[in-house]
Amino acid sequence: MIRVYSSPLATMAAQTTTPEKAAAPGALTTFLAALGGGFLSAAHTAGGMTILLVKILARLARLRLDGRELWKNLYKMAVKSLPIVVVTALFTGAIMVIQAATIVKRYGAEGLLGWGAGFGTLREIAPLLTALMISGRVGANNTAELGTMVVTEQLDALRVLAIDPIGFLIAPRFVAIVSTLFMMTLFADALALFGAAYTGQALLGVSPTTFFNGLTAGLLDFGDVANGLFKSFVFGLVMALASCHFGLATTGGAPGVGRAVNSTVVTSAAGIFVLDYLVSFAIGG
Amino acid sequence: MITIQSVSKAFRPSGGGPPNQVLEGVSLHVPASCLYGLIGPGASGKSVLLKMIVGLMKPDSGSITVDGVDVTQASELDLQKMRLKFGMLFQNNALFDHMTVGDNIAFPLRRLTDLGEDQIKDRVMERLAHVALTGFEGRLPAGLSGGQKKRVGVARATITRAPIVLYDEPAAGLDPVTSQKIFELLREEQRASGATVVMVSSDLDRLLTVTDRVGMMYRGRLIFDGTTHEAQTSEEPRVRQFVHGLTEGPL
Ligand SMILES: Nc1ncnc2c1ncn2[C@@H]1O[C@H](COP(=O)(O)OP(=O)(O)OP(=O)(O)O)[C@@H](O)[C@H]1O
Ligand SMILES: [Mg+2]
Repeated sequence: MIRVYSSPLATMAAQTTTPEKAAAPGALTTFLAALGGGFLSAAHTAGGMTILLVKILARLARLRLDGRELWKNLYKMAVKSLPIVVVTALFTGAIMVIQAATIVKRYGAEGLLGWGAGFGTLREIAPLLTALMISGRVGANNTAELGTMVVTEQLDALRVLAIDPIGFLIAPRFVAIVSTLFMMTLFADALALFGAAYTGQALLGVSPTTFFNGLTAGLLDFGDVANGLFKSFVFGLVMALASCHFGLATTGGAPGVGRAVNSTVVTSAAGIFVLDYLVSFAIGG
Repeated sequence: MITIQSVSKAFRPSGGGPPNQVLEGVSLHVPASCLYGLIGPGASGKSVLLKMIVGLMKPDSGSITVDGVDVTQASELDLQKMRLKFGMLFQNNALFDHMTVGDNIAFPLRRLTDLGEDQIKDRVMERLAHVALTGFEGRLPAGLSGGQKKRVGVARATITRAPIVLYDEPAAGLDPVTSQKIFELLREEQRASGATVVMVSSDLDRLLTVTDRVGMMYRGRLIFDGTTHEAQTSEEPRVRQFVHGLTEGPL
């Protein structure tokens, strides 16, 4: 026989859910409220990230940063990211060549293939795609780790041991994320060009020598590489701050960790695109 | 010693709604070298009060002084200094889940003392033996049972021999025999070191065999504070019902 009973938990849940508002406000009001709310929460996030940055910089200035944590994180973040960076970069280079292929064939401009593939890759595509990949892997993972530590009170346990969580946990992770992205971008630049050169040979019969001559003939210089690396540094800052901020702000147990990771991924990606635009605008590409 | 004066705290639910008054005018004095048992039904504010004593949470009003320092007003740096005096066991243990059992227990010593690795290792082994976990030093917390995690937490909280120790449910999830052993171990060590100890436990039968004084929380208020004997013979209906585990009564 099946007995139907109302569990105390279900009753509690029913009591705590707020009843639907009876009178729906006008559509415009709702829209404006949502817009205002969106701005407020964006400002709140930006404010939180700025405060965190100040705290981190204060620790870094006094060299209060745990060296062992730094190395551990660098290994976990950089070394373990190599495979996805290799795949992303090689294919990015190859795709750039495929895109350039029609023009190169039509005008017989083999000598320009290196420039054509290299320009966009070094200045824009490699830093951007690497940042998005690293954000998905390293930023999200870091938020999940910090968020779990927060909800299981491991951060409180550190505090009770007279340890400053910003100096011990956050500052090393911040430095590790920023440097990981920077190094991975440099690495991705080289690999993308490598992928492009060999795709050029396989697809268009352009020899790698011609490719690299086109690359170094004077149309591209170190400034283009530096441009991309500067962007990767800026992307690293926003990604590291978002990742640590949302991790530390986690509330509400395991579902809260999921929400925090979600916020990190969305905020990092949005931040990366907006900053890409602003930086490109400011430094002319 | 710890002095708590008219401490109140309300949590505001993030989704709005009425605030949850968790502590209301709690005043309490834990004398030096006293083993103080804090009891009370679930959600009566015991864990929150422990966290306030180490400054992890701030009360809305009232003050808490530890050896003369007001932890509710102290700066983060002063709090850090003050916390060197503390050992703490969290209700959920708060073990560092990326560290082995051995590293978890050794961590406070590595961070807070200048002991060499050999000495640290000896101390860790001694602690593990006391909580009947010899041979577990290489395991990760994720692979332990609830009671084993609890015992690792106890070992970590006691390894620095801190002058003030707060235990939140040191025997939760332990069988009666292990539970009694843990209580007796903590009592012996408290006697030997003269530490001031606050212990929250639902295992009243065993807790009251080791306490000097007892306080009872009920819905955010301290409704009883006295010696263990006074608690056991109290005529206050709620205290009487709770201490003797009666089903009939006001609770
Ligand atoms: N971080 C927090 N945010 C919001 N509310 C909280 C928080 N911590 C505790 N509370 C609330 O405070 C009240 C008291 O919680 P506390 O953990 O102190 O209870 P307790 O006496 O330790 O209970 P138990 O014996 O079940 O451990 C509960 O109603 C709880 O919901
Ligand atoms: Mg509790």
